[in-house]
Amino acid sequence: MSQQITVYTSKSCPYAHRVELALVEAKADCTRYQIDLRNKPDWYAPKVNPVSKVPALAYGGPPVPADQPSPESTKLTESLVLVEFIADLFPESGILPKDPVLRAKARLFADAVSNKLVPAQVAVLIRDEDPEQLVQAYEAIQALLPPQGFALGPFSAADIAAAPFLARIELNLANDLGGFPANEGKGPKILELLHAPKLARMQQYLKDIRGHPSFVATFDEASRSVTLHFLCGHGH
Amino acid sequence: MSQQITLYTAKICPYAHRAEIALAEAKVEYTRFEIDLRNKPDWYVPKVNPVGKVPAIAYGGPTVPADQPSPESTKLVESLVLVEFIADLFPESGILPKDPVLRAKARLFVDAVSNKVSPAQAAVLIRGEDPEQLVQAYEAVQALLPPQGFAIGEFSAADIAIAPFLARIELNLANDLGGFPADQGEGPKILELLRAPKLARLQQYFKDIQARPSFATTFDKEHVLASSKRRFAELRAKKYGA
Repeated sequence: MSQQITVYTSKSCPYAHRVELALVEAKADCTRYQIDLRNKPDWYAPKVNPVSKVPALAYGGPPVPADQPSPESTKLTESLVLVEFIADLFPESGILPKDPVLRAKARLFADAVSNKLVPAQVAVLIRDEDPEQLVQAYEAIQALLPPQGFALGPFSAADIAAAPFLARIELNLANDLGGFPANEGKGPKILELLHAPKLARMQQYLKDIRGHPSFVATFDEASRSVTLHFLCGHGH
Repeated sequence: MSQQITLYTAKICPYAHRAEIALAEAKVEYTRFEIDLRNKPDWYVPKVNPVGKVPAIAYGGPTVPADQPSPESTKLVESLVLVEFIADLFPESGILPKDPVLRAKARLFVDAVSNKVSPAQAAVLIRGEDPEQLVQAYEAVQALLPPQGFAIGEFSAADIAIAPFLARIELNLANDLGGFPADQGEGPKILELLRAPKLARLQQYFKDIQARPSFATTFDKEHVLASSKRRFAELRAKKYGA
């Protein structure tokens, strides 16, 4: 029913991680090609993504090596569009439920991730601004969570949107990595704010994410390269 | 199959306009409640949308007057989420096609509207910045259009996303309304740039949108113009002194 899927990805990139989560949830047969973001292959921009970013997905067309993409495949980009695409290709995956109200709630959660969590992460972890922004972003996301489980109850596109960012925020802060000066314990200090009692529900959510199979399958290896990526000053 | 729909909206608001177009495309009965954005009813924030904005939809719950929303209805916000919601409730409306690739293409077009057109519109029409930003946004969107027809061929969520913005940009500029100083012909000058030969395809696209009934029946040009005149008079008074 569906055609070949090749995803161009990078373990350090949270946006690409979203697509990898979706593909594992869908149990999709696909080819993964790692793009070194600091040394992109010269065919990547002209043949896959003119903006040169990951993730990108080549869908359909003849079976070709990933590094020789065919003009006949459809090239798609934008992590959240790709997650919806995978949900559409594999409706039984549960990435998006069938109920329109629940689908809307998943999208509103993804919206909060884009409009609150991601900008706060950039502000605090990269530009070394007031950590209170990140505390407030966590509180906003937490307010959308049900008393237990994932954003909609079962794991969905909502959690796929949030998980890669939450995981990298926590990992980087725990390792004192960020745009703030090193060796002043700033990272762990910020992490303590995020682990305050008023954010207990959020910490449980993170725990649930970390134990979820598709996350375990796509982050364990990535964690090392996430920290390395940051050390090289390429957080974005 | 679906439950009652109440839309809280405002004629001037391009975001709310998206929801109105979608509901018109779905040909569904719903309750439309106009919110005066300069004088919001005191029940709106606590009972419908804590952020106080339009559009918002109250879905389901008992039949109540729109100005007495029930806690039992589900409240939903965010214009693009609402368009997808309406597409999900009414799959035969065509707002989103069934084919996953076309659905993705529609969403990528919507993305370009959000990331290019909306910011350029705010920069040029409200903050009075270099019009070239808007020309480039138009060129970016134009590049995504097929040789004829709508963004993915048939009218879809892609066109719903952009139509209210294109309409207000053109209306305001044609009437010399914006954050730039009045009475210097600035608006028409910017409009001329947007009507350059290199943007002919986009102008045809806009013409096609204006002919679409779901757009035409939901765009109260006179009302929007009157509101814009008032709004930009206030903005200009603040910016340049009355």
